[in-house]
Amino acid sequence: MATISTHLRNFKEPDKDEQALLFFSIPSTATGGPAKGAPAPGDDPEKMDINAVLSLGGQSQEDPYAGKLHLIPPYLAFVSLDRKSVKFSLPLCTIRRVERLNARAGIYALSFSLWHGMKIVVQLTSLRPTADLFCELLSKALKAELQAGRMKAVKPFSKTCYSENLVLESSPVADNEREDGSLIDGGEKVGVGGAPVFHGGLGLKFKFPGDPKKLREASKTKLWTTYLRVHGRHLTLLRYPQCTRLVQVGLPNRLRGEMWETLSGSIYLRFMNPGYYEQILADNKGRNNTSTEEIEKDLHRSLPEYSAYQSEDGIGALRRVLQAYSFKNPETGYCQAMNILAAAILIYMSEEQAFWLLEVVCDRLLPGYYSTTMHGTLLDQRVFESLVARCLPIIHDYFQEVDVQLSVASLPWFLSLYINSMPMVFAFRIVDCFFAMGPRVLFQVGLAILKINGEKLLQIQDDGGFIHLMRDYFSSLGESAHPDSPDPRARAITRFQELLLVSFREFAVITDETIFAERRKYRNEIVTSIESFSKRSSIRNLKTLQRFTKDQVGLVYDALFKAVCIEPPPAPVQPPIALLTTKDAVEERPETRIELRTFRLFLSEIVTWARDDKIVTNGFQQRVDREVAEHELIDRLFYFWDFSFRGSLSFQDLVTGLDGVMFNDLMENIEWFFNLHDKNKDGFLTKDEVLTLSESMLFIFRFEVGDAYLGAISRFMSNAFEYGDALLPQSEGEDGELPSPKIESNQPYLNLATFRMVVLADEVLESFFETDLSASFRLEPVPLMELPTANSGLLGGLWSTLASDDNKKLFHKFSDEVGKTIGRHQVIHRPSIGRYRSIEEPRARESLLTPSMRRSASKSSLTQDESSLKTSSASTTSLPSTTTAVSLDTTSSISQDSIASPAEYNSLSLVQAANAALMERTPFAIDDAGDEDDEDEEDEEEEVNDGVLDEVDAFLEAHDPGVSDADRELSKDLINAEPVK
Amino acid sequence: MADAASGSAADKSVQVKLVLLGEAAVGKSSVVLRFVSNEFQANKEPTIGAAFLTQKCRLEDRVLRYEIWDTAGQERFHSLAPMYYRNAQAAVVVYDVTKATSLEKAKTWVKELQRQANPNIVIALAGNKVDLVQPSPAAGSSASESEDEADDATATPGEAPAEASDAENLRQVPREEAQAYAEEAGLLFFETSAKTGEGVVEVFTEIAKKIPLEHILASSRGAAGRPGAAGRSASQDVSLDENQSKGKDACNC
Repeated sequence: MATISTHLRNFKEPDKDEQALLFFSIPSTATGGPAKGAPAPGDDPEKMDINAVLSLGGQSQEDPYAGKLHLIPPYLAFVSLDRKSVKFSLPLCTIRRVERLNARAGIYALSFSLWHGMKIVVQLTSLRPTADLFCELLSKALKAELQAGRMKAVKPFSKTCYSENLVLESSPVADNEREDGSLIDGGEKVGVGGAPVFHGGLGLKFKFPGDPKKLREASKTKLWTTYLRVHGRHLTLLRYPQCTRLVQVGLPNRLRGEMWETLSGSIYLRFMNPGYYEQILADNKGRNNTSTEEIEKDLHRSLPEYSAYQSEDGIGALRRVLQAYSFKNPETGYCQAMNILAAAILIYMSEEQAFWLLEVVCDRLLPGYYSTTMHGTLLDQRVFESLVARCLPIIHDYFQEVDVQLSVASLPWFLSLYINSMPMVFAFRIVDCFFAMGPRVLFQVGLAILKINGEKLLQIQDDGGFIHLMRDYFSSLGESAHPDSPDPRARAITRFQELLLVSFREFAVITDETIFAERRKYRNEIVTSIESFSKRSSIRNLKTLQRFTKDQVGLVYDALFKAVCIEPPPAPVQPPIALLTTKDAVEERPETRIELRTFRLFLSEIVTWARDDKIVTNGFQQRVDREVAEHELIDRLFYFWDFSFRGSLSFQDLVTGLDGVMFNDLMENIEWFFNLHDKNKDGFLTKDEVLTLSESMLFIFRFEVGDAYLGAISRFMSNAFEYGDALLPQSEGEDGELPSPKIESNQPYLNLATFRMVVLADEVLESFFETDLSASFRLEPVPLMELPTANSGLLGGLWSTLASDDNKKLFHKFSDEVGKTIGRHQVIHRPSIGRYRSIEEPRARESLLTPSMRRSASKSSLTQDESSLKTSSASTTSLPSTTTAVSLDTTSSISQDSIASPAEYNSLSLVQAANAALMERTPFAIDDAGDEDDEDEEDEEEEVNDGVLDEVDAFLEAHDPGVSDADRELSKDLINAEPVK
Repeated sequence: MADAASGSAADKSVQVKLVLLGEAAVGKSSVVLRFVSNEFQANKEPTIGAAFLTQKCRLEDRVLRYEIWDTAGQERFHSLAPMYYRNAQAAVVVYDVTKATSLEKAKTWVKELQRQANPNIVIALAGNKVDLVQPSPAAGSSASESEDEADDATATPGEAPAEASDAENLRQVPREEAQAYAEEAGLLFFETSAKTGEGVVEVFTEIAKKIPLEHILASSRGAAGRPGAAGRSASQDVSLDENQSKGKDACNC
């Protein structure tokens, strides 16, 4: 067995607050590492949102936008009504001044001055009391920020940002730059006057990929400089439509790293956790973890064509970032493909920036992609497939027909953000969009690739052909998309530009909401398939199934899985690298080993006496409350099955252990029980052990009806000591005249033969060892654990809130109370053996049968056992039917809920068909796409800029500010309004 | 080689899907590279999911076109493997003769293939890095090999280059043991060295001999009746042309 992972089941859909955090790229304090100076827990600052109209002061030409202002301490965030045009997330500590504006009556407006002098005006359009409340909360939150002392941190932090240098009138960095943005003096970053300098990537020293002229670095940088001057930068960047358009034409090399961290929100993590990266490296210096070796292997295989990764500079940085990540997130550790991602971003950003960006990618943008189960990857592949079926049905159907699997090509696209698939310059432009617009970009680009290659895809015959076609396409991305067009402007459009146009124009219908909804839809399917895959491989990897069938072992696995879900075992600890390890030492593969607590749960699923089943009747219902029993016997069993003496059990141990008891006949069972109690395995029980053994039997029989077992045990004890004394070795020579009372309670006393004799002297015990002991181990289907309902329709949501375990308990308690008052409350312990239903007194046996006679009798009972095992209906259970009916009731109402989904799905497929019809390719706006002819443009910079902007316009979407003309007027007034005195 | 491919009828070229499996860093990629081309630097591409390579190979009067899926060895990629080994006609399961656990992992791969994959799949077991355990002359080359970085994957970090006399001590999997297992499980067995090239070509030749080529041909002819089959020959021609340059250093099986 490898490892059993249950964390997939613990997944919870993000609630409204978490969705807001996701949308605004604000780190939640839970994942953002120990945020220093964060408010103490329990003192949770209040959140609020309010309708507002945003206008920007200064030299801006921006229209006012209506939207919602969110107070999410320690952030203030805004989004326009269409949820895409305008958006910002400001840390409160960047706000230097808030003023209420003196304007026309009935207008409630606030002016925010940010630390670098930018001024934004927000008109609160909600009712007066709401606005007042918002202001109150805002001022409270601002005070808290002031106390936390973060306001002082803003200015030093801004010095680490390249953009701050860029917007200075006379940039000190410009003189030291090559055309591509790398440094002329070879990256020796010398801060003037010892001030910290801005962060940058390996590209500063090793040059950035691509031809700077072709990339039109200079004009892009100029456009960004203008934008950043007016709209804020790094922590305070306001994202107006122009920002997204500039991202879509590709970020300039020099600014790229900082923009990535700004757009993805990882900059907030870096800001809130100063020194964390260095600290984690220092804390783990010289330490190894499970990932260390895996990382080491891949260091030289990460973008090896880039010169930095042929030198220690690059390799060292890559190693440190990946190791720091694996130490911070030991559960994820390191996954192949993270090396590619980290290597790529390190070209443009510092190690610290890359560390936090990696965190955001793995945690928020692509959750579960690089986890040990890679469930996020599998899920998104499933989502992609469903989007292809919806948007490109012809291709999807053809792939099914020729049995080509989409994922063979698309999996690396998603896992490495196309960096491993396309030439780097192009991949980075997709990464630009990915950080600005989120994971939907990966899907949009993937769909566009398939659509553009549609005709050729309909010719492929197998997976190999698919891969070849994709490879050829990617290597031709720099070529003209329309080489034969008479129009030179059309000829100038590259295939890559075509790809982006198709991605964002024709697949604009793919929104974040689409992706989230699809992920929700397929999540359970993926979880189930991962779980059944790991179940199958766990069973396959067993060294032996012993005498069990595969299905029976499956039931053992189910019981184990359930136990692990409830009581997760500790994370497998990597044994410290022992100095004494010889090369012969067999390295262990990590596997799930359960501890005693989990074992008790496991055993309670299988063994009737390892649980307390209380049958509760209270006049309204009858139900079974199951509790896990605790007893020395169960602990004893745990150590008895710990064949490798490690204080924990593996799946194999459990199977072997169960095999040791479930197939036994009478004699074998007696021996098994004897050995279980013979701690030192010397073939003798001590007197103490005889007592313990009796206690074990008492425990097993604790819920049996009548006195039969009690009597049997007391007879057993008296017989055991009588025979034991009689057969003591000393007495043999002395003709039994001298009984030896001297024997200590911890010395060898009773051997197996004597024990057998004593057991067989009693009919009750004999029948127990003959059949009942083995039969008390039952492999029954474990009731399926519910996965959180995926279709969180109103009904589903309602049900899942109602049906939570807590509520069930509450309801049970309530009905019990009522039952008690009307005198109908009754609790019966379900017997573990249940052989004797009425109080009857079996006779003690006079004579002992010969073992040979017994053997034949028990053989037949063994076969009976096996048949009852198979049907898994226990003949000895006393109250089976009523109780299962109760549990069925609850499950049927759950299944009703899931039945509802197919109907929903049907209507959905209609929508899909409609969408597909909409997806018909619209004619290319060739005229919109910019003039790319480099030679013509080189002389006049103005024209170059126009060219870039043309390209920008190609992406222009209608942005609806959602503001009337009158509002616009008002906003203008407000910008110039005086604060209230 | 190239002549043979283009000269003979197209249906003489049989396409064989082959998948490489095995623990991380046993040298799967290196074995494929040795087989497909002798330029080590050519592929430093890390394996994400699986790398895809093709190589033609002649066997008597037949031309085989191997489509090789070189899968990622990291444990967490295990669940993706079925995607690559489905419909495969052949599999090479690689282990590292200097690492006992890698044989255990190989055995679980074999089990999985025998239960989940194409029932007629031909499986070869290859114990790689045999150069590390060969005495004297080879030991010298193995020491230098450690400097060869990860492209050879032989240089497991922390593994000191062996003294010539220690060479056999590095071996953790005796040839006899692995061979006995292979016989018992019905596998082809080889010890290989991607570094020296020893045994690599043999793996692919023996697989070619064992594969029921006629059967594959028959089934692919059957497929020609499908709609869209017109595109089949066209696309195949393309890939043949593309492979001509490589064809020169194809194996001489």
